[in-house]
Order: sequence, then C-alpha cells, then structure tokens
Amino acid sequence: MAGLRNGALLFHFFLSIFPMLHLFFFFYNRLSQMLAGLLLMLACGQTLAQSAPRLELCVACHGAKGVSQSPTFPSLAGQPKIFLENQLVLIREGLRDIPQMKGTLDGLKDAELTKLALYFASLPPPPPAAGPVDAASYQRGKAVAEGTRCGICHLPNYSGREQVPRLAGQQERFLLDVMKEFRDHPGPGRDTIMAASLYGLKDAQLKDLAHFFAHFK
Amino acid sequence: MMRKLPLLSSLLLLGLGQAFAQTPAAAPPPAWKQGMPASMANSTLAPNPGKNTATPAAEIPIDKLKLPPGFKIELWSTGTPGIRAMARGESGKIYAGTRALGRVYEITDNGKERTSRVVVDKLNQPAVAINKGNLYVMAIDKVLRYDGIEKNPNAAPVDLTDAFKLPPLQHHNWKYLRFGPDGKLYVPFGAPCNICELPTQEYAQIRRYNPDGSGMEVIATGVRNSVGFDFHPVTKELWFTNHGRDWMGDDTPNDTLNRISKADQNFGFPYCHQGSIADPDVKKDKACDGVTKPVALMGPHAAGMGIQFYTGNMFPAEYKNAAFVARKGSWNRTQKIGFDVVVVKAGNDGSNAKVTPFLTGFKDDAANTFWGRPAYLLQMPDGAMLVSDEQMGAIYRISYKK
Repeated sequence: MAGLRNGALLFHFFLSIFPMLHLFFFFYNRLSQMLAGLLLMLACGQTLAQSAPRLELCVACHGAKGVSQSPTFPSLAGQPKIFLENQLVLIREGLRDIPQMKGTLDGLKDAELTKLALYFASLPPPPPAAGPVDAASYQRGKAVAEGTRCGICHLPNYSGREQVPRLAGQQERFLLDVMKEFRDHPGPGRDTIMAASLYGLKDAQLKDLAHFFAHFK
Repeated sequence: MMRKLPLLSSLLLLGLGQAFAQTPAAAPPPAWKQGMPASMANSTLAPNPGKNTATPAAEIPIDKLKLPPGFKIELWSTGTPGIRAMARGESGKIYAGTRALGRVYEITDNGKERTSRVVVDKLNQPAVAINKGNLYVMAIDKVLRYDGIEKNPNAAPVDLTDAFKLPPLQHHNWKYLRFGPDGKLYVPFGAPCNICELPTQEYAQIRRYNPDGSGMEVIATGVRNSVGFDFHPVTKELWFTNHGRDWMGDDTPNDTLNRISKADQNFGFPYCHQGSIADPDVKKDKACDGVTKPVALMGPHAAGMGIQFYTGNMFPAEYKNAAFVARKGSWNRTQKIGFDVVVVKAGNDGSNAKVTPFLTGFKDDAANTFWGRPAYLLQMPDGAMLVSDEQMGAIYRISYKK
C-alpha cells in the first residue's frame, strides 16, 4: 500500500517537472479509452455496441463495460433499458441538469438514445462494492430500506426493473448524492414518488442506505 | 417495594436503550405508500413505466383496437412522447402537455398530415388550456400565458406564477386545466400522498380563478386526485374523474366520476372513498356522512382521466350528451384493469349512470400486459373524437359512418 502511494507520488512529481507529460498522458488516456472502446466492440462483436453512438464518450467516465471506477459517476451496466432511456432523454433535454454531461447528448435522436440504453442494459451488472463493509451501517441501511419499502419498486434484490433503477452494486457516493437530490430538490425530471419516498429521511439514514445498496449481497 | 422501583425502572431504561441501539427506528412508510398494510409489504406492484421516446407509426399496433360497429379508428398524429390533455385553438392548432418530459406540444394539421413542434420545455409536468386565443400553461410550480400563440408562434410568455399562489408539494400535484362556461380557469390540486391527513388545507381540492389568477375560489374539497373534467352540455355543471387510493386491495376502492351540483361539496378524502367506504387508516366518526356520492363507479385503480361530453352530430343519437371517459389503466392491482375508453350514459342530474366499454384492445388480459394508455379526449368540429395515448405519444381519431 505504502509502495503504491510512493509510486503515485513519484509519478505526480514527474508530471510536475515535465508539463508536456500531462499532454502526453491526456492523449494516452484518450487513446486508450478509444482503444478500449474499440476493443470492447471487437471483443463483444455485438451489433448493440456497434450501433450505439458516442460510446467512447460514455465509457470515459462510466467505465469500460459500463462499470464505473469513480465514486461520483454511476455504473450503467445492467441497468434496466427503460430506466436508461428515460434518463438519457431527460439529460438531453436539460430536465436533469448534470453539468458533466452538458452537451454530450446534443443532437442525438430518440432512436439513438434507445440504442445506447439497449447496449448498457445488455452488459453484466457490477458486483457488490469492493471496499470494506461497515456491518453496523449496512444493518441500519437494511432496516431503513425495509421501512421505506424500497424493494417494492426496486425489487427485493434491488436489481431494478423497467423504469426503476438497479441499486445493488451502484457507486456508494453517487447513491448518496442522488438520494439527497431527490429529497432536497424535487423538480423537473425528478420522479415525485421517489421524492415522496425519501421525504423526511436524515442525511445519516441516506448514508446508511447508500452503504447498504452499494455492498448489497 | 419502593426500593425495587428504581432498579426496575433502570432495567427498563437499559432495555429501551438497547432496543434503540439495536433496531434503528424504522423510517415511516413514504407518503405514497402510507396506509399500506403489512400484508402487502412484500408486494412488487409498482407504477407502470412511461415511455419518453418517440414511437414510430409502424410500431403502433392500431389494428388491435376495437370499437362498436360503424366506428373507425385511425392514427392521426405521432412523434409527441408523453402527450396528455389536448386543447384546440380557433385556427385548429392543438396544444398538449406532458408529465415527466416537461414539454408543451403544438400540433398543426394541414388537412392531410400533422406536424408538431415543442412550444416550451423543461417545465415541471405542464398542462394547457386555451382562452380567447391565449395559451395557458400550468406546471406544478409555474403559470405561463402565451398571447395570440396561433398567429405568433414566437410569443414570449407572461409569467403569472405569483398571482396563482400554487402549493409547493409535488406528488399528485400535476394539473388538468380548463376554462369553464363562466370564463374562469378551473384546476385541481391533488393530495400530496396516497392517503394522509392533509399537511395543509390547500390540497385535495378543485379551484377556479379569474384568468389573471385573481379571485380564487375553492369549489370542491375532499378530491384526492382529479386529472380530468368537463362541463355538462345541458346543466353546465362540472363533472370530474377522481382516482381512488392505493394499497387497499385489488377491488377497493373504485375510481369515480363525480358531479359538482352546488357550493361547498365534499367528496370524502381522506376519510371516505367512493362516497361509501370508510378509510381503514385515516379514521373519523361517521366518515361518509355529508360526503357527496359519485355519479358512477369507474373501476378499482382504473385511473379515469379525461372526460368529454359528446355534443357532435357524427356519432349515433344514443351518444348525444353521453360522457366518454379515458381510463389510463391500473398498476396497484394484480390483474390489470382499464386501458380503454368507456361511455357513461346518465340523466342530466347524474342519475342511473351506466358504464359501457367503447374503445378496447390496449391490453392483453391473458398476458396481463398493455401497449397503450388512452389518457385524454377531444371532440373535433366535425364530430370526430381525438384520443391521446400517453404511452405511444400518439393521437388517434375516432369517426363514425353508417
């Protein structure tokens, strides 16, 4: 662990003395992302992947094969098709205001968004989060989930269905952020039933919920 | 004895403390699931998914639809996802609102085909009405007026939000909007829950306003969630559909069709449903005393939406002044019900109401699935009837020939 950290520090040290390296790594990253996208298409040989537009842009943040490696970006893999389609439409229209996604879907037609939704829905969902489980928080989260009856719509294994997203294995920080948004800023593009479902829950309860869903087994 | 008490109470406290530490206080059921009995806690009934993308004409199985003999249905326009209530301007342009998509559409008919554009978007579940050439748009949190929109497609909106003083809670607070024969703007404000004591009195009621937002009057209370009404062609009274509560079982209570015949009528929410059934969760003595009875029971969970009294000359005489009601279809019921348009024939005072199916074929009973959701109706000048399908984002035209 310490070795890894030292290595990372050294790496940043090098970057700081050689600004040009930034550019190099930027292009290297972009290239590798594009390459990853290309490999993905070749490897899967799926028509779904071939027909989905701007896929390389999606996986740059949402992870190769739709499994996010970043706490604030959601995994898309294995999400229900209708859920993905709805979100893509709401984000394209600016109803869901996500600054990082501004413009990324501009000009895409409904049918193209459907292709993206079909592709990510077809991928295997992420496994439970890898980090350590806080048993007490997990249990508290479980109790809140049962009390608010999340499983009725999201299904008892939290795999989601149709317009209702999968929660199991989703990025923990993202879950917390999005639940706070539902609770505190109901508005265009936000489902009123979800807003009603989280009404009155405290931050600590949302934190436990997020921990529970991210690590759900 | 006295000496034992402190020990006993401290043991009790310890026990309580442990109970609090071990089992975190269960969160209260969310508003929309309030009143849900423990027997249904493991239910997986959930609202039906809407569709926010355009459905091409070729993917709309209109051949499956059935009507009484002599009636014909055709696909009139497509490409307007989530379309709900329609209002027709003097030039023939049709305006319509949506829910999740937040758009208001304008549909133009050149006699052969229909084209559409988005007048305004990014609104919070907007509904529309037309009055003297001006388009009124009301969202959960906004009221806009577009003056002379038919002649001036780029009309800038006049913001009337402040004058209308809209209550803030979102759930069941999407609107239906109509101008009455008295020139006033009628609009319902739904209950912000499945079943609950109202947090404030500004919900579960129907109001009317002067067109500028002044002169607000509450004309009916105890109305859980109405999203459709029309004015009776003879009596000019307002008849409205109302959605019954969820999680009380497959067959209870019914959605209803109601009539406002005088001032200060109460329609029962939250204590009494369909004028006859006391609520098992929110209780009151003699819950149904003084509650106005419905004109007709419209089926449990069937989601009665738009209503249109037929005043045209195209349909057979038996339909004159009959009420057509679109039932968008159930979610909180094991076997799906609704997903059709029915006809309600009743006396002018609402007596002897009979409900019969009119337009069917949107659902498959054996598979318990549906493909379309008829939501609102609009009678055209030639006597034909338009039906909006929120699921397919389309409008159908029903006509009759002997």
